[in-house]
Amino acid sequence: MTVQGLSVESAATGRSSGKPRVGLAPVMFLLPFLIPFVLFYVLPIVYALWRSLHKITRTGGLFGAAHEQFAGLSQFRTVFHDADFRSSVVRVLVFGAVQIPVMLVTALVLALLLDSTLARFRRTFRIAFFLPYAIPGVIAALIWGFIYSPNLSPIVSALNKMGFHPQFLSSQLVLWSIANVVTWTYTGYNMLIIYSALQAIPQEIYEAAKLDGAGNWATATRIKIPNVLPAIVLTAVFSIIGTLQLFTEPIVFSKIATTITSTYTPNMVVLNASQNNYDYAAALSVTLAIATFVLSFGFLKLTQRRAGS
Amino acid sequence: MGRMRISGPHVVAVSSAAILALSLAACSSSSSSGGTSTGGSSGGGSSTGASAAGGSSSACQPSGGTVNLTFSTWVPGMDKVVAVWNKQNPDIQVKVNEVAAGNSGTYQNFTNALKAGTAPDLGQIEYDTLPNFRLQNGLKNIASCPGVADAKSAFVPWTWSQVDFNSSDGVYAIPQDSGPMALFYRKDIFDQLGLKAPTTWDEYASDAAKIHAADPQRYITFFSQSDPNWYTGLFWQAGAQLFNETANGVKVTISPNSDVDKVNSYWQGLIDKHLIATNLQGFSTELYKAWNDGDVVSWISAAWGYSTIRDNAPATSGKWAVAPMPQFTAGSSAAGNWGGSSTAVFSSSKHPAEAAKFAIWLNTNPQALTLENKLGGLYPAATAGLDLPSLQQGVPFYGNQPIFDVFKSASAGVNENFEWGPTMTDTYAALKDGIVNALSGKGTLDDATKSAQTKTVASLKAQGITVTQ
Repeated sequence: MTVQGLSVESAATGRSSGKPRVGLAPVMFLLPFLIPFVLFYVLPIVYALWRSLHKITRTGGLFGAAHEQFAGLSQFRTVFHDADFRSSVVRVLVFGAVQIPVMLVTALVLALLLDSTLARFRRTFRIAFFLPYAIPGVIAALIWGFIYSPNLSPIVSALNKMGFHPQFLSSQLVLWSIANVVTWTYTGYNMLIIYSALQAIPQEIYEAAKLDGAGNWATATRIKIPNVLPAIVLTAVFSIIGTLQLFTEPIVFSKIATTITSTYTPNMVVLNASQNNYDYAAALSVTLAIATFVLSFGFLKLTQRRAGS
Repeated sequence: MGRMRISGPHVVAVSSAAILALSLAACSSSSSSGGTSTGGSSGGGSSTGASAAGGSSSACQPSGGTVNLTFSTWVPGMDKVVAVWNKQNPDIQVKVNEVAAGNSGTYQNFTNALKAGTAPDLGQIEYDTLPNFRLQNGLKNIASCPGVADAKSAFVPWTWSQVDFNSSDGVYAIPQDSGPMALFYRKDIFDQLGLKAPTTWDEYASDAAKIHAADPQRYITFFSQSDPNWYTGLFWQAGAQLFNETANGVKVTISPNSDVDKVNSYWQGLIDKHLIATNLQGFSTELYKAWNDGDVVSWISAAWGYSTIRDNAPATSGKWAVAPMPQFTAGSSAAGNWGGSSTAVFSSSKHPAEAAKFAIWLNTNPQALTLENKLGGLYPAATAGLDLPSLQQGVPFYGNQPIFDVFKSASAGVNENFEWGPTMTDTYAALKDGIVNALSGKGTLDDATKSAQTKTVASLKAQGITVTQ
């Protein structure tokens, strides 16, 4: 774009030169994204917020006509008194408090191993670690269900012959069996994020470290880990959001195990409520979204403050 | 500076706002305003102008001319049955939509379709879900449609009570099939242990103890956590009344209820003594393996269950037999019912008279019933259907026993007055969750029904329904 071009244009349109004008082109480029985004993402959220402020009243007897009546925050009051919702949230928080650190430490260790100078067959291992994530969630849960099954699993029957009788789907263990599946699925994914961050560390730092006499261990702990902390924070935030939305594995396991209630995780509580009480399900969803936002944003803010950045 | 300055965030914000505004305007113009809209019900809302309290039956006249109907069903082979109708009725052509089972998403689809105005003319709806669709004003009252009043006598009485809600104020579906319950058992294993088919629940319990003592791996039966309507079938046999619907509201009597308590304490006893398997889920591969291996040797189930065992436990062919359901009182012949569907005409249908005519044919015509039984495994609700030639024969898988004779007498013993609640999914969910605790020893079946009572009442109140005492 030249001065000459602008002055020709301003002459043609009669506008005073120097005033920036937003043309049609950027809007046209954005529309293919914006239209579906607004229609299928923003609008449903607005609709859910709208429904969460209503409740059903009925006139004309038992099977009379139903009306949507504005109810203010009364649905949210019910949400806070909902014992099932509370226990499902506690359950996923306990789940996350154990599973997320285990998974991230494993991902970090694997990434460091892959990145170290001693690693061989890097590409093969990278693909192997990532493969579980590529398997569709329901299929993975189904296969793990068979692996955990007391009378169908070859692994369980081998353990039985050795004298162990683990009840992976019992009420004591089923939550941690699910945690195992989630860890198996996402460790490779998180490892890749951390590994990419490791690759971005400039080589000069390593040379300087070597000059200062740092060995492999010191390099890992004093150089690599501090430099990938932002990536670790990112994976932690993703994991927190994912944990609060835990759904696939419990639902699939509920078809084979007798130990999973219909309100096992918050998302299942919402699904349950949506069968008959759409407004209440909307209020639950909004509450869940706000809680997820607060938790993940809070965590981000906390780590940013600690990092001093 | 000669460049056109494009403010990126500006563009996004302006475009998003424009699209949002346009969409909101479009949405709000199609829905009626404010809080008195009859279109804003919990899921249905396809009210046909008039306030439709209880489904006032407007005159149901044939439309004349050629009519095209759509019918959604999950019964296998239904398209072949409908092909017979289409050939014989060129002026009423029916198109079959094969859909997933009701509770696997089809009921949700019906609800959404009713709201969007795109529901089919006819749909398969199980008896326990009919009140829920009536609640959404989703069912057409076909009482005044030609042929419906006469059709009543063609059906087993208790099935008709399911579709006319105990003779309240209309007919909302045509019964299709039923699931009278009986006892499937491994005759060979019972014979081996010197046991006869138990006729009372006490005998069943002592048989359970003998069977488990003889082989600790073996259980007389299992307790399904995911089939609460199996358990309500047991309540049904015991004579329990869980719901009582009147014009004004619903009375919920799940707990306390002496008949329910009787069933609860019986099964709690079996659970406490570890005489039944508590870690097998209904219709699961683990269960089928247990059947095949002989680790589970009986199943209290409905007529349609005969194909479940046949298709999933092939190793045990010829070894099962069917006996009437054990009784609480020796000599009585009460039976419960598990499942069974109806063919309903949706309230948005433009041709209810033709739809009702088709529904009646589908569920009373002998040729249709034979095909539905053969291809779909359905046990007919029509009285003539119980005498179909194909149902009089011995079934090879069951040692050539004519098993449907047992189900015919069972059907005669099903209580006509049993009612379902308007929000059964919530009741079932509460029962299922309580059963999780009972099976893992953290609660009892009594706690499960108590919780089902509380949650059902709360669920009905959330629907704006009066819960009467």
